[in-house]
Amino acid sequence: MFQLGNHPINPAPLRRDLAADDCGGFVFFEGRVRDHHEERSVTGLYYEAYRELAEKEGQRLVREIAQKHGVRAGAIHATGDLAPGDLAVWVGAAAAHREEAFAACRELIDAIKARVPIWKRESYSDGQGEWVEGCVCGARGGDG
Amino acid sequence: MSNALHGLLLAGGKSSRMGCDKASMVLGDGGLTQAGRALGLLRQFCGPVYLSLREGQPVPAGGEGVPVLRDAPGAQGPLAGLLAAFRQAPGASWLVLACDLPLVRPGVVARLVARHAEDPSSPFVAYASALDGLPEPLCAIYGPSAFPVLGRHAARGHFCPRRILREESVPLLALPEADTWALTNVNTPQDVAGAQTGAREVRVAWFGRLAEQRGLREESVITKAETAGDFRREMSDLHRLDLDSGVVRVAVNDEFAVDGHRLQAGDRVVFLSPFAGG
Repeated sequence: MFQLGNHPINPAPLRRDLAADDCGGFVFFEGRVRDHHEERSVTGLYYEAYRELAEKEGQRLVREIAQKHGVRAGAIHATGDLAPGDLAVWVGAAAAHREEAFAACRELIDAIKARVPIWKRESYSDGQGEWVEGCVCGARGGDG
Repeated sequence: MSNALHGLLLAGGKSSRMGCDKASMVLGDGGLTQAGRALGLLRQFCGPVYLSLREGQPVPAGGEGVPVLRDAPGAQGPLAGLLAAFRQAPGASWLVLACDLPLVRPGVVARLVARHAEDPSSPFVAYASALDGLPEPLCAIYGPSAFPVLGRHAARGHFCPRRILREESVPLLALPEADTWALTNVNTPQDVAGAQTGAREVRVAWFGRLAEQRGLREESVITKAETAGDFRREMSDLHRLDLDSGVVRVAVNDEFAVDGHRLQAGDRVVFLSPFAGG
């Protein structure tokens, strides 16, 4: 299950859906808005999505990774204006054992960052702002 | 009064995007230049035919021997050519054709002429653009009663003929179905190469950095690009956008596509700068 939601997003229902009695390990990741970027003070983020394609591609990624690791997986990504500390993305993976859950959760957040058409514009404390474009390979570790 | 329809070929455009004189460009149909082809078309329907040029502009290839009307002072662009024509023959009806409309076929002009014949007192006979429904002033007939109207607008500094026709609430004709794109003009050498292969309208949506650079989020574009890759190059050149295929992906109809993807009329095209979710 992949969802796009206007800020603020609520992951609680998805978390409930993913939990199951045969799943002994449940790993989730929260990407939050960081208050700095490359030594600049960040006052806000604006996330914009190409909704039609983002939802399609997001569903494909969730299905693919859930199948590959044999886990129950899901994610929600926020759009709109967010402030530091706000929840930008939530990714969860539940499995019989923790190894698959950790692996699937990690792989899903990396895939979402690399493959789902979502863009972000950062606003800085000096009143400036710019579109920050991710690394095409998705290998960079930064979150939020 | 002059009874015969007068013809005016507008060839005074500066064609800076073309890198050379548009009117002298040969488009491949029988080796005629754009000016030569358009003059032939006007002669099918008109008595006297004139060539409209800017002051000092040389006669384009294919226009040799045709009487020249130099732009009237006090106006700009095509309107200056129109006013010069009416000063030459105020009582005439003028069939006006721009030289950069290579897709106009005789049937398109014939429909204008027929409508004008039904009501010769009508000041304007023009088509609605297939793209936006606005008047197409550069393949149109201007009757004698248009002269004072044009003069009035020129005096107020309104030189855009499309705007004038719009403000005058001119009733517009629909283009013949087979000629929907007949009034697509040709501004670049790439346009010229593709002019006779047909044009199609696609919708383009812009997101993120590209939306900011383009200055809009949605648009309709008439293109002769055959593939997504051709269209990428066209948009990149036209709007000076960095759409490098190594960095910017393309989607057609809400699905990722390759540059070789063949475009169809009505397709929705989106260029995707690197993603930054998460």
